[in-house]
Amino acid sequence: MKELTTDHISQQFNIELETLRQHFLTMGGVVENQVSDAIQALLDSDGGLAEEVKDRDATVNQLDGLIDEECTLILARRQPAASDLRLIMSISKAVGELERIGDEAKKIASLTISLIEEGESPRGYVEINRIGQMVSSMIHDSLDAYARLDLDAAIKIAKRDRSIDMEYKTAIRSLVTYMMEDPRSISRVLNVIWILRSLERIADYSRHSCQHLIYMIKGVDVRHTPSAQLDEEIQ
Amino acid sequence: MSEEQTHSIDISAMQRSQQALNIEDETVCLSVKDLHLYYGEKEALKGVDMIIPEKKVTAFIGPSGCGKSTLLRCFNRMNDLVDSCRITGEINLHDNNIYQKGTDVAELRRRVGMVFQKPNPFPKSIYENVAYGLRIQGINKKRVIDETVEWALRSAALWDEVKDRLHESALGMSGGQQQRLVIARTVAVKPEVLLLDEPASALDPISTLKIEELIHELKNDFTIAIVTHNMQQAARVSDYTAFMYMGDLIEFGDTNTLFTNPAQKQTEDYITGRYG
Repeated sequence: MKELTTDHISQQFNIELETLRQHFLTMGGVVENQVSDAIQALLDSDGGLAEEVKDRDATVNQLDGLIDEECTLILARRQPAASDLRLIMSISKAVGELERIGDEAKKIASLTISLIEEGESPRGYVEINRIGQMVSSMIHDSLDAYARLDLDAAIKIAKRDRSIDMEYKTAIRSLVTYMMEDPRSISRVLNVIWILRSLERIADYSRHSCQHLIYMIKGVDVRHTPSAQLDEEIQ
Repeated sequence: MSEEQTHSIDISAMQRSQQALNIEDETVCLSVKDLHLYYGEKEALKGVDMIIPEKKVTAFIGPSGCGKSTLLRCFNRMNDLVDSCRITGEINLHDNNIYQKGTDVAELRRRVGMVFQKPNPFPKSIYENVAYGLRIQGINKKRVIDETVEWALRSAALWDEVKDRLHESALGMSGGQQQRLVIARTVAVKPEVLLLDEPASALDPISTLKIEELIHELKNDFTIAIVTHNMQQAARVSDYTAFMYMGDLIEFGDTNTLFTNPAQKQTEDYITGRYG
């Protein structure tokens, strides 16, 4: 993204865009940690860490407000065009996706606290661990793609959402079977399912932010393009 | 919202303003073919090929000295007035090459009117300014002139402001009013094309907006070509935009695409304010 924020005749404009870029990547880093900490808190039954995640969501929200304001000011001051305009529009949308990922991390942390209070029974944790790792690397790689303006990476990462969806369905199926076998576990397993659901949503939001990145780089709106047609649409 | 209501919404109607224009679908008003222009030894236009679509606004943008004003002046042969100027290639106004021998240049300039950066009203009354072109054409009937003056002043969105002082001097008007008066004077002779060479660059922001609004109205009746240094203005008022650089036409396309996703790097660098 660096080359998008340099070379303007107005140094002040370069600084404004660079600041925006830095803040966006910072927020991405915070959100990435929120998700991995929320998963870790669950796997380690670490209530303290889960509480920290809940508290830190306020930081995510503050960054969301800050970046939104910066976008608004740049639009008002600079009337950006072409790649500058697409940069602002994409960041402004991607920030919304990050904020929602933050909310999901907070939800996972709250559910973790309930699960810890209900006592040990790690049913479904293997699935959460596996899907959690896939989701975490998806967030990480999508931010990396933003930092490097990597179109190919954005396309590949957006497509990863499908395998997460498949993992999610498989996990749900096995947990439903489990609940049928042992109805006393239903309330507890439902909490696990909510967590899986949050992870699945996080993957969706990561896919969306990759779509915003594709728009930033190529000027093509692929938000409603099925994964299989992505390459074709972008060429 | 019920499902039925959702289905009754006509999305295509909502998208009307954003539908990409296609130059291929336009009626050609002016067509430029391999136009070269030299001021002495210096080649100011290096082989321009493009069309100006009828009843649309075409904007020319580019840095100073890129040839955009020069090209605009070719459309009504204003460059004939420059001694060292030499032109090759063609410009066709509805299939007639305006550079062929025997072209009546005065008639050409009636059909292709021009408005300049600085308002240049004649030191006469408001009424006489607008009536001037008609009188030159030999129209003397007071009723016809009265009607045309009112129509032209209304077209230029000036009638309501000046109708009670038509016989006062035009020089007492504000800059923005003078510029609209000049536009009224130009449209009074019913041209086909209006060439606007930075028509708002000497005006304050409110007068500028009035001129832009006027351009929007005028394109119902006239083909408009506008040169502007203000890129946001080009983005606001035009249907098509041409980006020129050092005598070359670098990119020409529908304005929405050019300002959101230009095809050429030079265009991108210019409209985002980068070093070329």
